[in-house]
Amino acid sequence: MSDAPLVFAPRPADPPPPSTIGVVGWMRANLFSSVPNAILTFLGIYIFYVVVSAIVNWALVNAVWEAENRRQCLDMVGRSGACWPGVAAWIPNLIYGLYPKDQVWRINTGFLILIAWAVPLWLPRVRSKVAIGLSLVLAYPFLASYFFHGGQQTLVWTALIALGATAFAWTWLTSLAEMRFGLGFGPLVARLFGAADDERARRIGWGALAALYVLTFVIVSQLDFVEVQTRFWGGLFLTLVISGIGIAFSLPAGVVLALGRRSEMPLIRVFCVTFIELFRSVPLITILFMFNTMLPLFLPEGVEVNRLLRAIVAVCLFASAYMAEIVRGGLQAIPKGQYEAAAAMGLGFWQSTSLIILPQALRIMIPSIVGNFIGLFKDTTLVSIIGLFDLLSMSRAVGEDTRWLGLFIEPFFFITLIYFVFCFLMSQYSLNLERRLGEGQRR
Amino acid sequence: MKFGVSLLMAAATMFGVVATASAQQTLQQVRQRGSLNCQVGLPTPGFYALAANGTWSGMDVDVCRAVAAAIFDDPSKVQYQSVTSAVRFTSLANGESDMLSRTTTWTAVRDGQLGLEFAGVNFYDGQGFVVPRASNITSARQLDGATICVLTGTTTELNLADYFRANNMRFTAVTNENVNVLVETYLGGGCDAYTNDKSGLAARRSAFPTPNDHIILPETISKEPLGPVVRHGDNNWGDIVRWVLYGMIEAEEMGVTSANVTQMLQSPNPGIKRLLGVEGNVGQGMGLPADFMVRVLRHIGNYGETYERNVGANTPIGIPRERSLNALWTNGGILYAMPFR
Amino acid sequence: MSQSTAIRRPATPPLRLGTLANDATVRSVFYQAVTFVCVVGLIWYLVSNTIANMATRGMSAGFDFLDVSAGFNIAFTLIPYREGDSYLRVFQVGIANTLLVAAIGVVFASILGLVVGLGRLSTNWLIRTLARWYVEILRNTPLLLQIIAWYFGVFNLLPLPRASVDLGGVMYLNNRGAYFPAPVPGEGFGLVLLALVAALIGAVLLHLWARQRFRATGRPFPSVLVGIALVLVAPTLVYLLLGAPLTWDWPVLRGFNFQGGFSVPPAFCALVVALSIYTSCFIAEIVRAGIQSVGHGQTEAARALGVKPSRTMRFIILPQAMRVIIPPLISQYLNLTKNSSLAIAIGFPDLVSVWMNTSLNQSGRAIPIVAMTMGFYCVVSLAVSFVLNSYNRRILLRER
Repeated sequence: MSDAPLVFAPRPADPPPPSTIGVVGWMRANLFSSVPNAILTFLGIYIFYVVVSAIVNWALVNAVWEAENRRQCLDMVGRSGACWPGVAAWIPNLIYGLYPKDQVWRINTGFLILIAWAVPLWLPRVRSKVAIGLSLVLAYPFLASYFFHGGQQTLVWTALIALGATAFAWTWLTSLAEMRFGLGFGPLVARLFGAADDERARRIGWGALAALYVLTFVIVSQLDFVEVQTRFWGGLFLTLVISGIGIAFSLPAGVVLALGRRSEMPLIRVFCVTFIELFRSVPLITILFMFNTMLPLFLPEGVEVNRLLRAIVAVCLFASAYMAEIVRGGLQAIPKGQYEAAAAMGLGFWQSTSLIILPQALRIMIPSIVGNFIGLFKDTTLVSIIGLFDLLSMSRAVGEDTRWLGLFIEPFFFITLIYFVFCFLMSQYSLNLERRLGEGQRR
Repeated sequence: MKFGVSLLMAAATMFGVVATASAQQTLQQVRQRGSLNCQVGLPTPGFYALAANGTWSGMDVDVCRAVAAAIFDDPSKVQYQSVTSAVRFTSLANGESDMLSRTTTWTAVRDGQLGLEFAGVNFYDGQGFVVPRASNITSARQLDGATICVLTGTTTELNLADYFRANNMRFTAVTNENVNVLVETYLGGGCDAYTNDKSGLAARRSAFPTPNDHIILPETISKEPLGPVVRHGDNNWGDIVRWVLYGMIEAEEMGVTSANVTQMLQSPNPGIKRLLGVEGNVGQGMGLPADFMVRVLRHIGNYGETYERNVGANTPIGIPRERSLNALWTNGGILYAMPFR
Repeated sequence: MSQSTAIRRPATPPLRLGTLANDATVRSVFYQAVTFVCVVGLIWYLVSNTIANMATRGMSAGFDFLDVSAGFNIAFTLIPYREGDSYLRVFQVGIANTLLVAAIGVVFASILGLVVGLGRLSTNWLIRTLARWYVEILRNTPLLLQIIAWYFGVFNLLPLPRASVDLGGVMYLNNRGAYFPAPVPGEGFGLVLLALVAALIGAVLLHLWARQRFRATGRPFPSVLVGIALVLVAPTLVYLLLGAPLTWDWPVLRGFNFQGGFSVPPAFCALVVALSIYTSCFIAEIVRAGIQSVGHGQTEAARALGVKPSRTMRFIILPQAMRVIIPPLISQYLNLTKNSSLAIAIGFPDLVSVWMNTSLNQSGRAIPIVAMTMGFYCVVSLAVSFVLNSYNRRILLRER
């Protein structure tokens, strides 16, 4: 036994073998870790190459970019390359349908308002997000329908449009006030006026809102938009309108149906289950078909229901049935303890549902709701079958134009890209949301 | 359960219903609405073509416009309803459309069983085939065993089956309701022949990559009298559509055009006087003003004018009219208006 | 009321409207009555309007058209059909075609979905990425467009009949479809089928016995292999003993195309491929989520116990993952069935295309035709969800 303490000096570790680091290492680990893996890799590369090169050749390399009509395209490259000028000539129609060209700015403005309205929902330090979201869902349709449809204003109609405009103005005033001063719009005005107590402050706040309403009412009554009937609506615009209304309607309707399905009252439960199962078990195309051809028969003679409205009613009912099942899933995911705790606190059915259960359930459901929306957006291609000029029908119309007769694949490719971009962005957003919402729940 | 029971009861009641009765006056409804709901098909060049600016034009569209001109003195008061052929009769029957004008063949079953009334014929067509020149086929009789592209939901589909059954031949159908899909399939070699009404074949062929590699077979395998249709039951409305169409044909026969209709009002010819409402009152019985044909001719022109404007030899459709069925009876065709008196 | 003196019942409060409104039973009855009246009233209103409208417009809703001859050709029929057959036959043809597409689609979609789902969990980066983009791209484009893309992008580009792709001299592939030899059963072939059925039953019984023994004693028995052998050998023996009573109808190139044999049109191929691929994206995600839902500790524990990886998957991961997978899988299968109605875009004669489109147009009977179509989909959906739900209930975690 020596006195000197034994010191273990570890030998420096060998550097990792060159084959496991860098590009080579990454490739070895990820692509060629075994023989089957290497075969899979080569197979993958081959499939990728074949598909991509065929598409690139047709859509870009051999494509014709400038021509007067399809005959010229065909004379240049035949069918081996795409003929894009036809699509380019019809792009305004693919996006806005048959909407008069000089009125198209109204659609653009309408959608810009929608985006501007939704922006505060993502801004930090804005606290009234629930109120803003609600105002968006409830008041935007009035504003949008006037922008899109236009026409004669009656007193009630003007009042409703002004309501939409007021809600929009209030949204931005409130969010600016909250970001700058941490106060809502009403309290801010009250403070500017030096309100003494809460009661007066509230009164001033309401007064400011009323003044805002009067102001917008005057402005709105001055607006005079030409009427654009719904039969001129089409293209991407129509697709967005149908799916937007569908999702906005289906959410509350789905909640009601799901609550009805879980109700203890047998008759209500039977009605809800019948409705949900009936609409979920048949393809959307048959529902659209039925509403399109049968709705005029269901209504008393002389009542004419616009074709677009019929499609929207069908889509709304269909989406509600699906939404009801999503909401049911959300409700089932809430632990029983929450219901029991709410009951123990003496909350009634409506109180516990609206204050305790639904807010939690809705948060879990957001990804599925976005998924449902994507599905609905894709399904709107079916309205072309009942003769609405949505994106798909509009792309068919290109090939029936005398100048571009037979041009069918190219517009089709183009709208597929549009659909993909929209759906992909939405699905990525939904994934992102899922991740963020999951963070709070993860332990 | 209750829901199911009531549905069953409803169904049971409905099956008993097979009745025909006079509908509310369509003319009155159209006047009230201020516009004519005219059903056309999915855009098709020459007959109901849709331009990028949203306007409709064509042979069949001109019939809609003419009826609107007769009623309102304004051919733009038409709401075009473009629906697939599958729902065309349902859309007319359920009251959505006031009339349809969309290359619809007049058949006994449609006229007699579907609650429809044909108001006349504005184009005589017939079904033919296009085949690749390289196939060395020169007659439809050589198509035994072929695969044939055919538009679904049309009389074309039925005629095709009839023709092959009658000649004891077999075929495989490739069906679709989109002409471009069929053409694309045919060009890709997915079928040996493409069949449709001959009026459309020539135009389609001209849009093939190499039109000369394809030929139209000489046979016409069916009669396709195409014309506007109204709902059964409102005879007055049927009369309006019928006589607006006949009026246009009669006007051509008498040489009245959109250009000379104002001078023709002074014409001593009693036939022209009756047509233009200067003498007699054909319009009154139908609830139209006496000069309804003046309105039609001023805005739309006579039959010959709409023909040359939309499908004539100088248009991309290019269907020559001389010696065809669609020439006037005085020129060797079968186009013939009932006497306007 | 034998002990009327012992227990005093609480005094009944005086009957007031306020009390009634707060009584749960009364309220429930009231709500239900109101709903019932509203719903029945609505239905009555709609039905009476319909009857009145149909009467004034001279529409007929009867089923008398069903035995009228349809007169059009159907490109692909699973059950025999000729142009002169009745509309009822057309309806049956449509149903058979829809069910065929759905059945084949479900099988392919499940296989593909499983492969891609496992691919998304692969250790190979390229495979993982390809699988991810496969899912992302195909899930985010409308199915209707995909069906048309498959039809024109692939099946219409196949060679012409004269230059058919010859797959071993048995199967031919061209742009008119795929051609297979069709079996023509001879005399006594029923016995072979009988042997097959008997062998199948035997295999199932064997498997049940083996599982019972495995549970009781822990000794495994290769019941699957033996079962397969049984199913293969028994009918073959009978077949050979009877002197091979089966001939084949070979497709032969004659005239325009192959004649004889069994063939499916390109529209069918495009539809099945598009449906399977589209649905497989959703199934892949379901499979991935299911496998990921099984805690990693389970895999590790199995490894620690020395269970082979293949057995870990089969006996430990999959049974647990199945619980998560089955419910959404059911709805995907139903979606596939419903989506087959998009066949109309490429003209495959499924129920919607041949019945709700062609027949409706030729006969003009909207109400019975639409009702029959919807009725068929309702029946299929309810039947499938009933069967799969009962299976789901069986494998559900027994919670105590």
